[in-house]
Amino acid sequence: MAIYSFWIFDKHCNCIFNREWTLVANSSSGTINSKQNEETAKLLYGMIFSLRSIALKLSKDSTGNDIRSISTGKYRIHTYCTASGLWFVLTTDFKQQSYSQVLQYIYSHIYVKYITHNLLSAFDLAEDESETRGQGTKKIANRNFITALESFLTPMVAQ
Amino acid sequence: MSSSSSLGGHSKSLRLAGEDIWKNKTEKVNGELFTLMYGSIVSQLCRDYQRCFPKVNDQLYTMGYNIGVRLIEDFLARTALPRCENMIRTSEVISKCAFKIFLNITPQVSNWSTDKNAFSLVLVENPLSDFVELPMDAMKQLWYSNVLCGVLKGALEMVQLDCDVWFISDVLKGDPQTEIRVKLNRVLKDEIPIGED
Repeated sequence: MAIYSFWIFDKHCNCIFNREWTLVANSSSGTINSKQNEETAKLLYGMIFSLRSIALKLSKDSTGNDIRSISTGKYRIHTYCTASGLWFVLTTDFKQQSYSQVLQYIYSHIYVKYITHNLLSAFDLAEDESETRGQGTKKIANRNFITALESFLTPMVAQ
Repeated sequence: MSSSSSLGGHSKSLRLAGEDIWKNKTEKVNGELFTLMYGSIVSQLCRDYQRCFPKVNDQLYTMGYNIGVRLIEDFLARTALPRCENMIRTSEVISKCAFKIFLNITPQVSNWSTDKNAFSLVLVENPLSDFVELPMDAMKQLWYSNVLCGVLKGALEMVQLDCDVWFISDVLKGDPQTEIRVKLNRVLKDEIPIGED
């Protein structure tokens, strides 16, 4: 199993964090919160958004039917969506079926711990109307969060 | 790590899930310390606002709101629950899971409105108000545990439920029971990226 990139989207359709690994051999390579990934983030969001609404329409009863993973010819996308509207997205190769436990761990032990419980940082990155509906560009820059995330994900980058 | 499937089912499994998370996955703190800390916050607010109790109520509500908008993430991370399809389900999650996990109490749900959009939470025990006796002047106007209303309001708003939450009665005021009313105004729409509509 190798992971290629990791993304967080908030309920305002904004990408609030992205991490991309470029060299498999060097797990500290790549970019964090890169501006160049804005477009990719929008495309990724759009793909998951569309597939989610299709899945919801195709489900037989009203209880939610969430997308868990999407496979393409080259990679697999794993998603974990919370009731509060956060999306945690991981792109990987095909060696492992499910990363839902990994994503749940990132949410409950890294995001909640270092972002939500950090009372000095805003709980919502969008400050006004102009930063909602996918127009915001603010990113999570919390050092504790990034350090914890790196040390958790690094062993998976080149396995 | 709890999986969402174990919480998918009925109200009974919600109760069991709540108990399991409380027992096995929640760090415990001294309840009296918590009660006394809350007491000192309220008494400080009464002093700051020179015993103008409506202002104290508002301030407690705002503080609760700010707690609620963060507490919901903590709650969702612990339970991995999906969105609720109706208010009946919401009431069960609040009483059997949320109150159980954070305060170790299970309020009774009662007094449903005919359209099933408003219900009451009856708190048989309220850890916030242990040891508390209100002075005469506070009895009339102060909602001592108003922070709870703010927490519920903030947390529900974060899962797209716009609700009004307020106290109807409180044993501290000489009422027979402590009752919180929750009323759904509307279900907020999820945002969609600009240009999609």
